[in-house]
Amino acid sequence: MIIRQLNIKNFGKIHDKTLEFSPGINVLYGENESGKTTIHTFIKSMFFGLTRMRGKAARNDTYSTYEPWENPGQYGGTIWFNSKGHNYRLSRNFQKDHAFSELLNEDTKELADIDAVGLEKVLGNVSEAVYDNTVSVAQLKSVTGQDLVRELQNYMASYQGTGDSSIDLGRAMQMLKMSRKGYQVQADKKQKETEQEQQKLQVNMDYIAGEMNDLREKIAQIDEKEGSLGMRPGEENGALLLDEKLAETRKKRNGYALGMLASAAVGIIGLITSALAANSIAVSLTAVAIAAGLVFFCGRQQMKYAREFQKRVRMKNRWMSRQEKLKWSKESLKQDYDEKETDFRNLQEEYREYEENSYLPTLEEMEVQALNLAMETIEMLSENIHHQVGRKLRTRTSQILSEITGGKYQEVLMDAAFHMTVNTGDRTIGLERLSRGTMEQIYFSLRMAAGELLCQEESFPVILDDVFGMYDEERLAAVLKWMHKENKQIIISTCHKREMEILDREGIPYQKLLLS
Amino acid sequence: MRFIHLADVHLGAVPDRGCPWSSRREEEIWETFRRVIAGIRENPVDLLFIAGDLFHRQPLLRELKEVNYLFSTIPDTRIYLMAGNHDYIKADSFYRDFQWEKNVTFFKNEQLTCVKDEKLDVYVYGLSYEHQEIEKPLYDAARPVEGEGMHILLAHGGDATHIPMNIKGIASAGFDYVALGHIHKPQILIRDGAAYAGALEPIDRNDLGEHGYIEGHLENGRLKTTFVPFACRSYEQILLMLREDSTQASLEDMLKADLATKGRMNIYRIVIRGNRAPELLLLPERLKSFGFVTEVLDESRPAYDLEDLEKKYSGTLIGDYISYFLHKDRNVIEEKALYYGLQALLETSR
Repeated sequence: MIIRQLNIKNFGKIHDKTLEFSPGINVLYGENESGKTTIHTFIKSMFFGLTRMRGKAARNDTYSTYEPWENPGQYGGTIWFNSKGHNYRLSRNFQKDHAFSELLNEDTKELADIDAVGLEKVLGNVSEAVYDNTVSVAQLKSVTGQDLVRELQNYMASYQGTGDSSIDLGRAMQMLKMSRKGYQVQADKKQKETEQEQQKLQVNMDYIAGEMNDLREKIAQIDEKEGSLGMRPGEENGALLLDEKLAETRKKRNGYALGMLASAAVGIIGLITSALAANSIAVSLTAVAIAAGLVFFCGRQQMKYAREFQKRVRMKNRWMSRQEKLKWSKESLKQDYDEKETDFRNLQEEYREYEENSYLPTLEEMEVQALNLAMETIEMLSENIHHQVGRKLRTRTSQILSEITGGKYQEVLMDAAFHMTVNTGDRTIGLERLSRGTMEQIYFSLRMAAGELLCQEESFPVILDDVFGMYDEERLAAVLKWMHKENKQIIISTCHKREMEILDREGIPYQKLLLS
Repeated sequence: MRFIHLADVHLGAVPDRGCPWSSRREEEIWETFRRVIAGIRENPVDLLFIAGDLFHRQPLLRELKEVNYLFSTIPDTRIYLMAGNHDYIKADSFYRDFQWEKNVTFFKNEQLTCVKDEKLDVYVYGLSYEHQEIEKPLYDAARPVEGEGMHILLAHGGDATHIPMNIKGIASAGFDYVALGHIHKPQILIRDGAAYAGALEPIDRNDLGEHGYIEGHLENGRLKTTFVPFACRSYEQILLMLREDSTQASLEDMLKADLATKGRMNIYRIVIRGNRAPELLLLPERLKSFGFVTEVLDESRPAYDLEDLEKKYSGTLIGDYISYFLHKDRNVIEEKALYYGLQALLETSR
């Protein structure tokens, strides 16, 4: 693209000014504060518009800075340029209430409303960020040597990894990492809380399980007791045994009672018959004695078995009540056990549900995931850019540097830690050991190379804003000759006359643009 | 004739485990149920329907005894009770052998049965879950028996794994009222004809809005039902809209004002939306200290014009980054990643 002419109607402090540019080298000369920066801003605003910032930021945005004091209704002008073989005229009024823009293709006489269509096509897809990175070249800002080294290395690294020198990839990643750390801490805290809750449930379950164990043991003890009493099913029934014994005793008791009665009867009958039939008192007495002996014997036995019978009845009652008690307490223990078991299973289910829920990603984990994705994507895209422009940028930078230093520095190198060195052909030298002038040369080469690589569709002019302040005569002559050879449109913006003097001396044609 | 239709009481549930109010909520679920019974004692209704999930899990024996005791205090009310999918009748469930009070009719199995009320001309139909899930549409073929009077179906479920239902079809089969349970949000499906009573108390943070029960009565021979809010608190959502000039302090003030109008006893989920100034650093966690807040969802976005930025930074990493995400259907993570990365790249720019 070639800028042919500007007509500034009203922009900052400039009114009604026309500037004509040559397709080669132009020198825009003026004292400080004479409006050089205003012209740079005007050119950029013509191509990319002047969008207002919102809120507080609007107070000192570009729009407000360059808003004309007089005649504010007219805020803008016209630029004539050539792009992709066509001549265009682009007019704008930035005034927010009378905003207007119009692009005329002077060859085809086609008019376009660029607010609707956009300028991207016409400009060869150069975006505002790319323009900032390639077209306008300002002096390195740093003052001290060390800062300068860092600035230059940052520039190179940023270009290679992002295509934009203003992006600070390292700090951006650092910021994302810090956010991630914050969410990670929160996520861990939540995780701990969840685990604590689960722990509580577990403790509860363990407690109930313990109670269930106790109950089981008690039931087992009862089972054992029942066993010792022969109460277990399949064994001889204790009650039956007791009943048999009872019946036996009763039979014996009753037998002896009967025996006692029988012997008494026999004794009486014996006495009567012996008294009637015999006359011997001795016989009678003997019979009575025998009968009495029998009665006495039977009576004793009967008494004994009667006592035993009573004892056995008591025994059975005692046995029965004990059995009853065991049965009852076993019953209640079992009920207790069932209750605990249901409780336990409910808790188990709750525990399981809780565990399932804890697998769901928490809000914090989602933030961490998003931050990870952001970092991965940035890395991946940066690698792509590095792949596409990184090596080419270094090669072309080296080439330009070699050309403008007459082969003194042949190559620019950068290691993985973004440490830059230059190759002199027989050795490499770290940036920190180079003079400021040489560093400015490296910077210049880098900017030129970046401009070529980033604006591939359409070559853009380069606006050099006071960049040669640190160049000695020899360096300046070399760089001016190189620019002439490159056949690019270049606008050298300066407050010195050196550039013009050297151009004159070297016989290099250029367009002089004077601001006063 | 007057009735109360309850559902999804979830006795024994422990809402919001881990939150400081969790155990209090557990108690409140019981307490509100006791309040319903106490209310009936004061002002008796003829019938009380409990359409499933009276308990959150398998009921303990002592819990059944407690509930049965409560029922014994309202002897003039006949209670119709079924087990739902939460308290389904397991093989060894205490439901199986429990001896209910005379005024309680418990549907004992998965067979739809009809019970005629002993005092009124009301026929109540119902069944109980014996499984956690039932995919068969057990209610769709239900038909009322011949008989003068009201025919009321007690039904629990309505989704694919809990007895799917064609409510319109069921209602048009001739039931005067379908007392539904399972869905926690109270909703009237057919006016005076079929309704989910909803959970009596909200059971978790997703049960937003009012909760209570449904009361029905006959008016000139026609059944009228109304929803009666009865829960002691509700879960609500507060939406905080950010603007570009919002700050953490202005956000907190907004929240305080909202809490004051919506009530401090309720439990809140806070959603932050809108466009915030990119440089604003929000501390959403801090909002939790202003009331009962379960979670804070930050869905706000830095106020970036993505299309504009994409155009402006085209050809550089920032442009590539925006383009990478902008022209695809972004999921939640990708949406967040877009803004996180973009903000980091822009804010650290030299």
